Amino acid sequence: MTIVTFVKHVPDAEARLGRGPDGLDLGGASFALDGMDEYGVEQALRLREAGAASEVVALALGPARSEEALRSALALGADRAVLLETDAALDPIAQAPALAEVVREAGAKLVLVGGKQADWDSAALGPALAEALGWPLLDWATELAVEGDGIVAVHDVDDGSARWAAPLPAVVTAQQGLNEPRYPTLPNIMKAKRKPLERRPLAAASATVETIHVERPAHARRNVVLDGDVATAARELARRLRDEAKVL
Amino acid sequence: MDFALPDDLLALQRAVRTFAQREIAPVAAELDRHPRFPWPTLRKLGDLGALGVMTPEVHGGLGLGQLALAVLLEEIAATDAAHATIAAVTNGLPQALLLEHGSEAQHERWLGKLATGAWIGAFCLTEPHAGSDAAALRTRATKVDGGYVLEGTKAWITSGGEAQLYLVLAKTDPAAGARGVSAFLVERGTDGVSFGPPERKLGQHAAITTGMRFDGAFVPDGQRLGAEGQGFVMAMGSLDGGRIGIAAQAIGIARAAFEAAVRYAGERTAFGQPIREYQGVSFKIADMATRIEAARLLTHRAAWLKDRGYRVTGEASMAKLFASETAVAVTDAAVQVFGGYGYSAEYPVERYLRDARVTTLYEGTSEIQRIVIERQVRREFER
Repeated sequence: MTIVTFVKHVPDAEARLGRGPDGLDLGGASFALDGMDEYGVEQALRLREAGAASEVVALALGPARSEEALRSALALGADRAVLLETDAALDPIAQAPALAEVVREAGAKLVLVGGKQADWDSAALGPALAEALGWPLLDWATELAVEGDGIVAVHDVDDGSARWAAPLPAVVTAQQGLNEPRYPTLPNIMKAKRKPLERRPLAAASATVETIHVERPAHARRNVVLDGDVATAARELARRLRDEAKVL
Repeated sequence: MDFALPDDLLALQRAVRTFAQREIAPVAAELDRHPRFPWPTLRKLGDLGALGVMTPEVHGGLGLGQLALAVLLEEIAATDAAHATIAAVTNGLPQALLLEHGSEAQHERWLGKLATGAWIGAFCLTEPHAGSDAAALRTRATKVDGGYVLEGTKAWITSGGEAQLYLVLAKTDPAAGARGVSAFLVERGTDGVSFGPPERKLGQHAAITTGMRFDGAFVPDGQRLGAEGQGFVMAMGSLDGGRIGIAAQAIGIARAAFEAAVRYAGERTAFGQPIREYQGVSFKIADMATRIEAARLLTHRAAWLKDRGYRVTGEASMAKLFASETAVAVTDAAVQVFGGYGYSAEYPVERYLRDARVTTLYEGTSEIQRIVIERQVRREFER
């Protein structure tokens, strides 16, 4: 079985992002393989190591620099990589048909993708891919196993967790808790350079995204000072935390 | 002329930096306070592939050169100098000499273990009364049937008592001076071999250092490395690489102190503005940055030349001299930038200062480096 694991090249968690005239200024940012996608890569490798898959294909869509995310996936252990290269701004819904085509072509039975990617933060790519492929979707998996002809996944629900089974082929979205991603070893980083990485220009997409305005979200604060004696103030603080903030 | 590191080396550098920040940084201060040999993180460094950088892939290493080792050691040292010292030693002489002078059987037996980090290697040259004057060694290896019997005392053994393999230099012919020294591979647990308690020292506490005693320890013929009488020549031929490694480590320590100082100078305010707005601080930062840059250029160039087969005795000593003195100066300046907090163990810069101090001492003191450099200068002028 072939598994396709989607990887996005995104600003790393510690990158400082500036605001440019046309939106975000990514000029000074360092990029890395998206954290949630990385859980997907790790799970694909574990399934291959357990004998449930024979090939892991890393797939990316984005500008030429996305090759770095693919090299990271290859260094972790993916067998080969495909890059759909485009500088166009595409939202997840617009990306899904092109990605689905590569998945079909690879003859894959399972697609792993992060629950959401740090760029759009939309949680839409997994569902959009499942829709484009016409496959079932198991989202936000914290456990995943191949059993017989299908898969079984666990994800969190409000009062615990739920197990879901689905036939293959299927799309699964990954999140924290699914596994602890390995480090790419130095020999594997060197070998990754020799693994096949195919670049294809992405055919013009039907719908692109136009940036109209970028704004840093404002953090509104209430600036409440509780005065009075300590016991009264503490009681009032507890009441507000429970009844208003609802964190207690 | 190209000063850029190759892409693949940049990828390795990034991987080691990430690893060091996630795995070593959280334990570094605690290991300094409560010293113990950092086996858990060393195992992970071995799994990562960072403990056999120059050993060929067929023996389980990375098959890279001195430049790659320098770049990776700087990354480890920028997080914790003690880890870098252990890594520099096991990556260095034990593997380099074993690879160059070892028999196929010796390669088979030890090289893979060292290259993968399953075993840690140590180098045993220094004695209580003889450091850089290696020809004055007193440890004796007396030929007996089937091997040698070792008698004597070694000092300042990095990873002593913890490492599994010791490359030991001992005299097989006391009358022959430097030409009477041979090299032996001694495993931990050999009868007649014992270790002293860890030395109490200024810094790099987790890089355990001990004395080592040989009381009639029998070492079979198959554990002599290279020909009899060649030990000193072999060791001298590998000192250049060791010095480049220490230079790289010194740069890493300096960089850690520098980065901490830059951040602090931007955060700490005095008299209404960040202290970096004062020239007393900003000029220090400029000098720190310049010295680190110069040290790295000297070090990378020495490594680059060595990788191309040049003899780099002068260049390696210049790099080691300048980088180690830079580490001492930069860590000292970082403490000054931090003011009173720099003296407190609450911040890491006092540890960097203590860790840096030994870099002008081991692998040849600054004075020894100057002697080596001047001899090279003289040689060139008299040619």
